[in-house]
Order: sequence, then structure tokens, then C-alpha cells
Amino acid sequence: MSSPSINLRSRRARQARLGHLLGRHTFSLGLWLSAIFIGGASLIYATSYQRLAYFAWAVGLFSFMIGLWYRNDLARLPVSGSSLDQRLSSDALGRLGVRQTLSPRSVWHSLRDHWQATFLANHLLLPTNTIEQQLSTDQSYMDKAWQEAVRLADLTDSPAIEPGHLAAAILNTSPAIQTLLKQLKDGNNDVEQIVVWLSRLLSSQRATEPYFGGIGRDWAYGFTPHLTQYGQNISLAIEQNGAHYGWLTASPGVQSIKKAFAQGDPAVALIGEEGVGKSSHVHALAQLILEEAHDRNLEHHQIISLNPSLIVSRAREPGELERIVVTLLEETIHAGHIILFLDDAQLFFKSGVGSFDITQVLLPIVQAKALQLIIAMTPHDYQQLKTDNAAFADLLTPVVLTEPDEAAVMRVLEDTASNLEANRQVLISYEALREAYRLSGRYEQDVAYPGKAIRLLEQSLTHANNSVVDTGSIQAAIEQTRGVKVGTAAPVEADQLLHLEETIHQRMVNQVRAVSVVANALRRARAGVASPKRPIGSFLFLGPTGVGKTELARSIAATYFGAEDHIIRLDMSEYQQPSDVSRLLSGGNQEKASLILAIRQQPFSVVLLDEVEKAHPNVLNLLLQLLDEGQLTDTTGRSASFRDSILIATSNAGANTIREHVEKGEELEKFEKQFTDQLISSNQFKPELLNRFDEIVLFRPLKSEELLQVVGLMMKEVNSTLANQNITVELTPAAAQEIVKAGYDPRLGARPMRRALQSAVEDSIAARILGGQTKPGDHVMLDASDLTTTRESG
Amino acid sequence: MLVFSLFLWWYGRGWLAVVKNLRNMLRGISRLFSVPQLLRTLLAPWRRIISYPGASLDAKLRAYGDNLVSRAIGFIVRLIVLLTALVISLLAVIFGIVSIVAWPLVPVAIVVLIIKGITA
Repeated sequence: MSSPSINLRSRRARQARLGHLLGRHTFSLGLWLSAIFIGGASLIYATSYQRLAYFAWAVGLFSFMIGLWYRNDLARLPVSGSSLDQRLSSDALGRLGVRQTLSPRSVWHSLRDHWQATFLANHLLLPTNTIEQQLSTDQSYMDKAWQEAVRLADLTDSPAIEPGHLAAAILNTSPAIQTLLKQLKDGNNDVEQIVVWLSRLLSSQRATEPYFGGIGRDWAYGFTPHLTQYGQNISLAIEQNGAHYGWLTASPGVQSIKKAFAQGDPAVALIGEEGVGKSSHVHALAQLILEEAHDRNLEHHQIISLNPSLIVSRAREPGELERIVVTLLEETIHAGHIILFLDDAQLFFKSGVGSFDITQVLLPIVQAKALQLIIAMTPHDYQQLKTDNAAFADLLTPVVLTEPDEAAVMRVLEDTASNLEANRQVLISYEALREAYRLSGRYEQDVAYPGKAIRLLEQSLTHANNSVVDTGSIQAAIEQTRGVKVGTAAPVEADQLLHLEETIHQRMVNQVRAVSVVANALRRARAGVASPKRPIGSFLFLGPTGVGKTELARSIAATYFGAEDHIIRLDMSEYQQPSDVSRLLSGGNQEKASLILAIRQQPFSVVLLDEVEKAHPNVLNLLLQLLDEGQLTDTTGRSASFRDSILIATSNAGANTIREHVEKGEELEKFEKQFTDQLISSNQFKPELLNRFDEIVLFRPLKSEELLQVVGLMMKEVNSTLANQNITVELTPAAAQEIVKAGYDPRLGARPMRRALQSAVEDSIAARILGGQTKPGDHVMLDASDLTTTRESG
Repeated sequence: MLVFSLFLWWYGRGWLAVVKNLRNMLRGISRLFSVPQLLRTLLAPWRRIISYPGASLDAKLRAYGDNLVSRAIGFIVRLIVLLTALVISLLAVIFGIVSIVAWPLVPVAIVVLIIKGITA
């Protein structure tokens, strides 16, 4: 590709420089000067200074000429050729000095104060000065930059090379800037996307004002006082507040609705998941009708959205609701230019609190094609309507809105960002938009794109740092609303992660290998190394009862998710029948034990599946899918993600074998492999299931000295409870031994220990407090002889 | 050189712009007053305020009379607006023609005024 040429001495270049020199106030200044000089000259002419008056008139007329010249020509010189000086916009060309050495740095310096260059730099979060310092002064770099500017202008269908195109081209062709952007995780593509966004803004700024019909437009149609009272006139709102749905008016969804009405269909069912943009499509249709609908079925039509809550709240007497609805429908029919929009349409099609059924009233009207109607509903509600009222549902023309692709969502986010920046005085970086797309996709599964990404972007405004919304703001918003950690670990948190084993061991005795395996998995997940399409971690805990399997699960919930109650615990011995699969997958509200419901309510949890070996093979097959894909699909076809959970299955299988090995003095790591093979050969677990866990963790029985440590941990809990009464309790070594002796059971591990401690220590302290022997502020030292209850029971 | 560019524009694209402005002005007036819509519905009832004919002849005649009144009101209002649009359009045409004729004379006038100023 030959490099484009530029002649900064051409007539167009000189005119552009003059235009830049004169500035954007030239037109108004010219008119003012001409008015002042011509008016002043007329006054002077009445006196004896006629010569001065002639000159003043001449100056006035010349100012008038200059003002008009600037406005109609210099401000936007027409593009008249392919050479750069002919194709550069006057804004860009006027900033290039005739004697200027054209290098990336000098050209950027000329452009950097222009709003388009600032727009670009701001959304990359790069100060214009920093960019300038990084740019080369070598003129030879400009050849590539010019070519890139031409490419970007062509890409955005712009006849002129705007300052934004040129600025972006300089950034895209500068190796130093590219390195800088890579360090900031911003790719070349972001610069290009920002230019496309900028071009769309330019087009909307330069678009001619839309014509909505003039003062006599509605005189051939009826009045709509009740509709105005009970609904919102979307068309009127667009007329008053401006049209913002430009590109959406050409979308397949809007065109399908328009086509359906143009063909004479009376009612359209707009079907799509929450957040997919049903209301936006209706707003876009309203704009399209206002601007350019020439079809008789749509010309001058207005869309009014009915408010069901308002209708219900106004109906105070029996039968009033029906009267209001009939009045509204009659008014719609009589007006002749109203399209009724029922948003959240299920509220109009079922009887209940805040809703009412109007299908019987609507049916004959829609059959007679007496009005036009748009009904927005989710696919589930549409199916429900088909089941409940097939006759009415059959009259609707379905228009299905699917979730838009990434490019379309980003376009919506860009437009949203433009509005937010204008209205809330913030700056939203482009990387933040990408992060909003990414994180909302991962963590907001109840709402569809683009709604969920928009919602996250809006939520992030409160986390803006110095009015700048960056990736950190988006991450902070999702962390606050979803209770998950997605940002880069802060130094304090990173330190906690690095010392996770110590934190867990503060509440767990021994099981060093189990804790270490789990801690490594959590660190991998937090550092972003683990696969995002599977659960954060998946573990099979094997070992005897009462050795800390559940306690470790609780510790993980507390350490990773911030609270012990972030745990979903299922006893798998309750799922031994083939039919129990549906109980796990139920998406409705009737199944309290549904795993799907639990994970939807609390996606950031430890999922603890106790006694997993007792579950039916069909249930275990489900577990395979969960471990593979990180999600399950409920009975209604909606998926639920487990990708933010840690899955822990526990089992006592082979507990005796573990005990035997440990008693022989063998280390866990040495017989792990052999033990796993035994579990497979004895048909206790299928190999495909075992292979899918991140780690199989063996727990060994606790030794008597470890049980003493368990007593110590339990005493901490007792003291924490008594802290309110300012009483502290301590056990002598003999007392602790006494409790271990009373509470230890080789079959149940440390589990009976709590009961023993309760009856020995807590009862003893309670008796002392009630007997007045122990008062607030006392420190109680209990010896073995004080634990009478223990001895008696033991 | 720049003055030459100014004159080149003034007698070229600038002059054409005046013609274009006149055309836009007339279109704007027509749009503001909804001229095509009002012409098409000149005899339509005012805001669809109509009576539906009853069964008896008396009721039918009364409805016919009511509707005639509604159409008459609609016609009068629309006619007034259309006449207003016509008057404003005529004024715009006169202003536009004067502008088109006067446009080429402006630079000449400047030269003449300077000469007058020197020689007066």
C-alpha cells in the first residue's frame, strides 16, 4: 500500500488553518459585529461623519460575509479527493501548521486538545501528556499512521478523516504506546472500538433533527385522557427528551414488530428473558414510527405503556378494575393512533396481588383487530399463557428476542456510558466496559445481556475513584452485590492467602496434608490460574468420622467466602432413589432441598455433599456433569452455575483401612494411590468420578495429643461465649486429659468431645455462676476433681 | 489568496446555499404546520369527537348534525392553520428571493462603500 500524500500548502489546507484560527465563535461574532457596525453606521450617517459611516457599513458587511463563510464552509470543508489534505476534516487539517515537521509526537501535540483525542485518551485512562512523551519524533513513522487513519475512517464509513481517526492511528502505530497498553491490559482492539464508538457519537451529533409531525399531527385522532393518567406515553417522552435508540431501530426485533403491524396483525408478543431489552425495543419502535413510518397502520401512531400497579391501586370498589380497563381499551380504540404496550405482561394475565386477568376482555377486541397491542413477556410466561389461554395466545404474533452477541452488548454499554458520563459527571474507561460485560456474564445468571451488564455498570458508579470508573470499580460493585472476590488480591488479602494454612489451623487440629491441598486450590482460584468453567475447587474428603472433614469445609467457607454460613450441605444418604435426581434439580419453590435453588440463592458457597457414596448412581452421574461443566440444568431448562462454589464430597468409605495404615505408622501420601485403587476395585466409587475431583484428600484418625489440642480449641469457644460476662475459664492438664478420656471414641473420633466438654465444663461453670461462687471478672481454673459431672457420667 | 477563496465561495457554493436555505425554510414551515396531514384530513371530525347514529331517524339525524358540527370545527381550525402557514411561506419566499438577488451584490456593495468612504 503506497503511503498517502499530504500537501499542507494546498488551498484547502490554508482554508482549514484559517477556520481553525478564526475559531468556532466566528459566526455569532460576525453577525454581532455586522449588526453593531451597520447599526452604528446608520446613526453616524445621520450626523456629519458620512465617510466614517461608509467604512463602518463596509466593515459590517464584511463581518457578515466572514461569519457566513465560516459557518457554511470553513467550519466543515467538504471532502473532495483522496489525498490526505483533501480527506482530512477541517478540524484535523487546520491544526497542522504549514511548517510543521509531521512526526507522531508533533501531530499528537497538535491534536491533543481536540475533544476527540481527549475522548480517546480518557477512555484508555492514558493522560495526553504521557502519550506525547511516549511518541516518536521520527517522521518516517507517519507513513504507517496516515495509512492507519485512512483505514479507520473507511472502517467507520466516514468520508473525512476526523481528529479521532488520526489520533487513534498514531496510538495504534506507535510501538511504545502498544507496549504501554499491553501493560495496562488494553489491546489494540480497544483503540479501534473506541474510534467506532466515537464515530457513532459524531453521527448522532451531526444528524439532522428528526421530524415528528408538527402541530397538527394529532388533530385527526381522539383524546386520550385516561390513557395519559394510567400509562406513560413513550412516543411523547421521546419527542420531549430526544431520540436515543438510533441503531436499535434497524434491529431485527424492531423491524419484525413493525412488519407485523404493517401487515395488519393486531397484537405482537415480544418474548425474551429479563434484561434482553424488550422495553428498549419498544422505545426504538416508537422512535422509528415518529421519524419515518409512512404506513397507514403505523403513521403518527403513539405507544403508551400501561401501568398495572396504578390501575390496581385506583380500583377501590368491586368491579371498578374492570370498568377502568374497559374505559382504557375503549379510549384506545376510539383514539385510532395508539399502540398499547403491556410491559411485564404476566401482571395483566393472572389474578393475584398487584395483577389482574384481562384476557377475556381483550380477546374479542384483538379478534376484531380493533386495536394494536404489544405484550412483553418472558418465554416462561408465554408458555404459561399458551397453557392457560390458548385462544388468546394464538392471536399474538410472536417476536422472539434473543440475547445479543458481545459486539452488540458492547455497543449498548458504550451508549449507556455516554449517557452516564453526561448525566453523572464521571469517566468510564473502555476496559471497565469490557469488565462489566465479562463479570456480569459470569456472576449474573438470572438476567440476560445487555440488561445485566448495564445494571453492573450503573452499580459501579458508587465505586468510582475520583469520578473515574475503572475495572476496579466494576470488580468492587460485583464483590459488594454478589459477595465474591474477583479483583486482584490486595496486599493484606494476598498475605492471608499465602498464610491460609495457618489461618485454617487456628481452628483445625492437624490434617496438615488436607489443609495444604485445599489451600493450594484456593490460591490458584484467587490468582485466576484455575479454569473459570469449573467449580473453584472440587475435593473428595475420605476418612473416619470426627476427624475434621466438616470442620475443614466450614473453615473454607469462613476463610474464602467470609462466613461459615456460606455452606450448602446435603446429606446424600437421602438421595438413594433414582427419582431423587429430580428433587435435586427442581427449579420451582416447592423443593426446599433442591441443590439448584440453593446455589442460585447463594452461588458463592461451599457445597458439602456428605456421605456421597450412599447416593444413587443417577445422582452421582449428575455430579460428573457438575464437576465437568461447572453447571447443572434444572427441570425447567434453566442452568445454574457452580463455577463460584467449592465442591466438597465426604465419605467414610475405607475409614478402617485408613486407620489400619495409620496405626502401622504409614504416612498418608504413601498409601493414597493404593487406597484409591481399592475404592475403585471394591466398587465403592467409579473411576470416572474419582478422576474428576481436583484432589482426593485422606483424613487420618486423631491421636490423643491432638485430641488435647481439640479440647483447647473448644475451650476458646467456651471463653468466647463467656466473654459477655467477663469470666474466663482454664483447664489444668489433668482436667483436659479427663475430658479426652470421657469424650474420645475410636469409632466417632472427636465428635463426642463437644458433648463431654459441655457436660463437664459448661455445666460446672453454670452451677458456679448460679451458686454465686463465680462472679464477673473472675478467672476460673478447673482441675480434674472439679469436673464431677464428667466422672459421674464417665 | 484567502479573500479570493472567500469570493470564490460567495459566488459559488455560498450562493447555492442561499437557494438551499430557502428550500429548507419552506419545508420547515410545511412540517411545523403539518401541512400535508392537515390537507389530507381537512374535512375530518375534530379530534374524532363523533356521535354514533342511533336506531331512530331522529337519533340518526341528530348524530349526523353533531358530526357535521365536529367536521366544521375541524375544517375551520385546520384552514386557519393552513392559511397561517401559507402567509408565513409567502413571507419566506419573498425574503428568500430578496436574499438570492441581494447576495451577489454584497461584495460589490463593500467595494462601493469603501470607494464612497474614500471619495466622500
